[in-house]
Amino acid sequence: MRHFGRTDLPDEQARALRKAVRLEWISIAFLSVSIVLVALVMGNSQVMKTAWIEDMLSLVPQIAFLVALLVARRPSDPKHPYGYHRSAGIGHLVAAVALTAVGSLLAVESSIALVRVEHPTIGTVELFGTTVWLGWLMVAVMLFIATPPVILGRMKLKLAPVLHDKVLHADADMNKADWQTNAASIIGVTGVGFGLWWMDSAMALLVSISIVRDGTKNLRAAVLDLMDRRAMTSDMKRPHPLVAEIDARLATLPWIDRAASRARDMGHVFHIESFVVPRDGTVSVGQLGEARRMCDDLDWKVRDIVVVPVDDLPRALFEEDPDDEEWEDRRGRGRAGARGEDGRR
Amino acid sequence: MVLTLAVAGALVLGGCGLGIPRDPHGTLERVTDGVLRVGVSPNGSLVTVDGGAVGGSEPELIEGFADSIGARVEWTVGSEEALVRGLEAGRLDLVAGGITSKTPWTTKAGKTRPYTEVPADGGGTHRLVFLVPLGENGFLAELERYLDREAETP
Repeated sequence: MRHFGRTDLPDEQARALRKAVRLEWISIAFLSVSIVLVALVMGNSQVMKTAWIEDMLSLVPQIAFLVALLVARRPSDPKHPYGYHRSAGIGHLVAAVALTAVGSLLAVESSIALVRVEHPTIGTVELFGTTVWLGWLMVAVMLFIATPPVILGRMKLKLAPVLHDKVLHADADMNKADWQTNAASIIGVTGVGFGLWWMDSAMALLVSISIVRDGTKNLRAAVLDLMDRRAMTSDMKRPHPLVAEIDARLATLPWIDRAASRARDMGHVFHIESFVVPRDGTVSVGQLGEARRMCDDLDWKVRDIVVVPVDDLPRALFEEDPDDEEWEDRRGRGRAGARGEDGRR
Repeated sequence: MVLTLAVAGALVLGGCGLGIPRDPHGTLERVTDGVLRVGVSPNGSLVTVDGGAVGGSEPELIEGFADSIGARVEWTVGSEEALVRGLEAGRLDLVAGGITSKTPWTTKAGKTRPYTEVPADGGGTHRLVFLVPLGENGFLAELERYLDREAETP
């Protein structure tokens, strides 16, 4: 796989993509085994049931990642002039909605069990001729499946920024925290073993709350992305530096006075509109083409960039934003250019 | 994985020693060398009630279990619903009466694993269980351990 739509992937990205796909398949295979194992020993434990449903939910982002890749690979065509990159955003949204909805449902269920003082009944099973309390099997299964997701999550977390893939990042984030669910289940079931019936539902409530938190965090990010918020890094913590880099690069061209760009994060690649104010009010088609090619070569994520000559930069791109660390920097550039010309912006 | 198995093994062995699982309401502790309050509902040859005398294969099995923990059985005869209410209210420790693994009472009572299969009237089989109070896992585990032993020695 070497393409995202019409974008050719550099070697580093192509390698990362192959690795990410492999990791996702391994994750799906491992989760399927976990789901079967947990189902076999689940019994009447609320926390085990919650962990089981969480396992099934964590398949959603993994499948979404793989499906979105298949779709996003297709090149743009007259019917889909922006390509199919948005499929990643849709996958992200679907995963987030599923997490939020099911997590809330489970939180309500656990709370009801606590309020109604429902004592979980966990009996025994006959294993190789001896009678073993099912709770011990639950603990054994939860221990057995605790570590691989953490390792897989850490590996995927390294690939997410390389590919600029938010679904992959969200998935890796969840995997990384998966051991907490296993720990909660072990504590809950062991508590029941000691006669503390409420530990089961209390731990189930804790796990459901963490599912809801994952869900709302991703729901927010997915919605903001689909609303064409400014492009952010794949961990959604900072504005993506590429946009400022393009502005800076454009400003180095002698015929450009000031430049400001807005980028739409299509998932993986950016669609970019760069506004430039030509120094003496005129510009040639050749100059615009040169500017476009220069930005295109800057990064593989630059896709379908248009360079538009304007007499003034769109105000929205310069409005003060306390969250943006690069804002001062960008405003400074705009001013410097302006001062050279006529002393005011 | 070796570590997992070692930890699990240690827990299982340790758990048996510590008397885990324990009962939130201490049923097993109370009935051991005490009184086991059993509710029965007549059902074919499984549970018969003749005047005041309770008989049948299930009461026999329960007498055996009571013997194994040094308990004396106190019988209560009633309808299934009344008996399940008794379990919920803590007036009974165990309910029998040809109850199958498909019993609808599972939100109100705990059930044992099926201890035997009997042919059903309409063909197929019924898997028979006993009902216990919800969440009294120590008592349930002790009962199931006894039923497993009985199943092995016909």
